[in-house]
Amino acid sequence: MKRFNKTITAVFAAAAMAGVLAGCGSSESAETTTAPATTVAEASETAADTGIQPTEVTFWHSMTGQQETTLQELTDQFNAENEYGITVTILNQGGYDDLRTKLTANAAADTLPDLAQTYPSWLIPFLDKVVPLDDMVANDFDDYEDILENYREENSQFGFISGLPFNKSTYVYFYNKTMFDELGLEAPETWDDLIHIGEVFKAEKDMVSLGADDMAGFLEAAIRQNGGEFVSEEGALFDNEIGQEAFDYIMNMYNNGYARLVGEDGYFSGPLSNQLIPAYIGSSTGVSFITHEDWELGVASLPGHKQDAANTAGTNIVMFSKDANQKKATWEYMKFLTSAEATTKWAIDTGYLPIRTSAYESEEYQTFMENDPTARAAYGQSEAFFSSPAFDGSADVTSEVNATLEEVILNKEDSTEALKAVVEAVNDAL
Amino acid sequence: MRSKKPSAVIASVLKYTFLCLGAFFTLLPFLWMISSALKTPAEIIKMPPVMVPEVPQFENFSTAWSAAPFGRYFINTIIITVLTTVCVVITSILSAFAFSKLKLPGKNIVFALFMATLMIPGEMLIITNFITITKLHWIDTYKAMIVPWVSSVFYTYLLAQFFMQVPDSLYLAAKVDKCSDFKFMTRIMVPMNKSAITTIGILNIIGCWNSFLWPLLVTNKQEMRVLSTGLIRFQTEAGTSYELIMAASCILVVPIIIVFLFLRKYVLEGVSFSGVKG
Repeated sequence: MKRFNKTITAVFAAAAMAGVLAGCGSSESAETTTAPATTVAEASETAADTGIQPTEVTFWHSMTGQQETTLQELTDQFNAENEYGITVTILNQGGYDDLRTKLTANAAADTLPDLAQTYPSWLIPFLDKVVPLDDMVANDFDDYEDILENYREENSQFGFISGLPFNKSTYVYFYNKTMFDELGLEAPETWDDLIHIGEVFKAEKDMVSLGADDMAGFLEAAIRQNGGEFVSEEGALFDNEIGQEAFDYIMNMYNNGYARLVGEDGYFSGPLSNQLIPAYIGSSTGVSFITHEDWELGVASLPGHKQDAANTAGTNIVMFSKDANQKKATWEYMKFLTSAEATTKWAIDTGYLPIRTSAYESEEYQTFMENDPTARAAYGQSEAFFSSPAFDGSADVTSEVNATLEEVILNKEDSTEALKAVVEAVNDAL
Repeated sequence: MRSKKPSAVIASVLKYTFLCLGAFFTLLPFLWMISSALKTPAEIIKMPPVMVPEVPQFENFSTAWSAAPFGRYFINTIIITVLTTVCVVITSILSAFAFSKLKLPGKNIVFALFMATLMIPGEMLIITNFITITKLHWIDTYKAMIVPWVSSVFYTYLLAQFFMQVPDSLYLAAKVDKCSDFKFMTRIMVPMNKSAITTIGILNIIGCWNSFLWPLLVTNKQEMRVLSTGLIRFQTEAGTSYELIMAASCILVVPIIIVFLFLRKYVLEGVSFSGVKG
């Protein structure tokens, strides 16, 4: 809170407090500076010098539970095995929103860590602090083309390589296979299948048969599945025939009671576990929140229409190191985390997806997939992956689309009105 | 009088029924927390809700406890809460006294400026404050979590209103008796407004205990974090492990209950004092 130091009261207060604070300050005698860039001992500025001086690298992340354990294991392995004496410290900075806030604040104070997990849209306010990786990828990286094309595109959208993919997931279709078998239904492959499933569940069990955790993502996928584009910096790109068809389909699902909003549940993993809904579309990482003791869980790729399109989610690792030695050291760690070996272990332990084609095709991962329907479904749609473009205001667009879609669905508006309302919301947000 | 009148019996039955219901509803969230802490993830989300878990999952407690260094978090939270609260109470009393009783040139203008800062949303100041803390190299220190919060315009204002109600004649009478301003404040003002000061203290303790964003911003190391930052470890992008959050909350509430049991007398006194005064 802002102070007016010149006021007499503040002087009074300061005098009275001095004693109290002295006690507190002395216990903290060793002041530590955690600004990562200042931890560099000596920096070798000569470009010809390929050696790396021993140094510490800081990595800010949002991983918890098993994800954090695996990340720590990988980091320990790197710290033990790298020949340069690089020590990487991983620091959890709360959830994604907290991490984002911390990064924004530290960008303003110029104290960013060497490396952090980020979504592309977070970087827009401080793009100048991001270290472009183009040279390092070109000269010192193991087969860049091996990384899935969609991930490479996502990390090149600012005109340079801004990061490497790390914890990646995709949206899949989770369903109650026991119920589907009972009604003689198969996992859906098209929009028509979804409508058919909706009709059957409505008629036979009087149940709503579909939900989507992320409404804006659901709409974007539908528009892309219909061959269209969602939004750009200019505004909505779906105010056309293609967009109208997508809205016809979505509003048909909701207005006829084949689909419902998530509401108070927050995520559909709860209702699915309780058999209150037989299927939903959500992140592949949500599988750990689905309990299915007395029924069989099925997982399928997202149903398509004119073409397939599947949302991806999850962050990339982005470098903010400042001097040359620090950059080289961070790059060594980034190469390690994105290596086929590390990404395979990461994917198998955490349920995130491998970022390399070679990792998908490795014997180890193929064996894992045989017993993991979520991984199979994710792999099955990997050709259709897309990621939402990041631009100034893209986060506002997402929240506006979510709010407006919810509103038109609750009002049971017809699809023409719904399209108009969402287009307007997108354009107003920009 | 060996037996009471029937109407008196009915009255006390009604009275106690009402009190029992009140106690039950007050305790319900607490009981729900304990019951949820012992559930499986499946039971947590079950509809209709499960009141008593089938097989109590005691391992939730150990899982939750080992998810983060809660012991260390707890100590940090206590240190920050106690120091901040002590400081904020001292500064609020001093400034409220100055604003309400002392004759200072331009006092009203300063007070108006003080009040004007209430109009600035805290979010706007967070980045500025953060940059200051960084420049002072205070990141990962207790100072960073205490110093920015050692005074409060709102508490000063609140207390000044209470102090203003104390008649000037008391102040002047004390002056006649050669009582210094400081003595008047500590001997008369503070005891007379004990309830208001207690309220400020309690409000600040709650605020400190729950503060999240600022402690997270100014700490990078695990060992400097506070309790609220530990609880978010059970939330992910795909869902929340409510049973672990509840287990952790159960563990964290125990010390507070112990403190309350010891200090019950004082807390209740503080509450009843305000009633008597009214």
